[in-house]
Amino acid sequence: MYCCIRVSVLVRGFGRSLEANTLSTKSTSVKRILVRAFVAIALVWVLACGALYEIMRQPPEKFARFMARIPGPVAFLVLPFETLWTHARAGALHVGDSAPDFSLMKLDKRASVQLSSFTAQRRPVALIFGSYT
Amino acid sequence: MVYITEAHPSDVWQMESNIKDKVVLASPKDEEERALVAGACVRKLGIQIPAVIDEFGNSTEQAYTGWPDRLYLIDAKGDVTYKAKPGPFGFKADELRAALAKLVP
Repeated sequence: MYCCIRVSVLVRGFGRSLEANTLSTKSTSVKRILVRAFVAIALVWVLACGALYEIMRQPPEKFARFMARIPGPVAFLVLPFETLWTHARAGALHVGDSAPDFSLMKLDKRASVQLSSFTAQRRPVALIFGSYT
Repeated sequence: MVYITEAHPSDVWQMESNIKDKVVLASPKDEEERALVAGACVRKLGIQIPAVIDEFGNSTEQAYTGWPDRLYLIDAKGDVTYKAKPGPFGFKADELRAALAKLVP
């Protein structure tokens, strides 16, 4: 009788231990899957950031054609668009540099304007780059 | 104003806001067309500052990284004294005004 009880307690104890081990293994496995998923998503995100940065460095029309095919929220909400844009389009010209000279036609095409002509007159110039669209 | 290559022409990357504002224009095919679009822009937006048109090879835009829009201030010596971050995020008229006020008190 004592022997039977002892065996039963041992078997029950072993069962519980096995159950606990199974639960622990399941929990470790879920954690591993989550970590792997996080690493994969992070990797895809970093690669997407790098790809977008490179595309931003392309000539404007090429960049615009690419962007036209991307759903807006992906680039603007999922990726740090503004930060990447600010770096990619920083340009080589810096404050303190000599302004690159140009001679461009006025809208009426009757005359051209040369930037350095303002410097010759010791006049500052504000340049506003833009387009209608 | 330096009129440069279109930011959101209808045949490349049109924005909803352009449709809403009824500014739906295809990319100009040559310098002549760019001048026509630039003229329409100046007239319809009532721009009163002198405007010039970048040549069709976009050399000035490239030299200044001006696309899609950007602000600069050049001092009397011909040096860059203010350079905005690239537009549209960096297009801040208040910053240009402050830089101008510092330069021409």
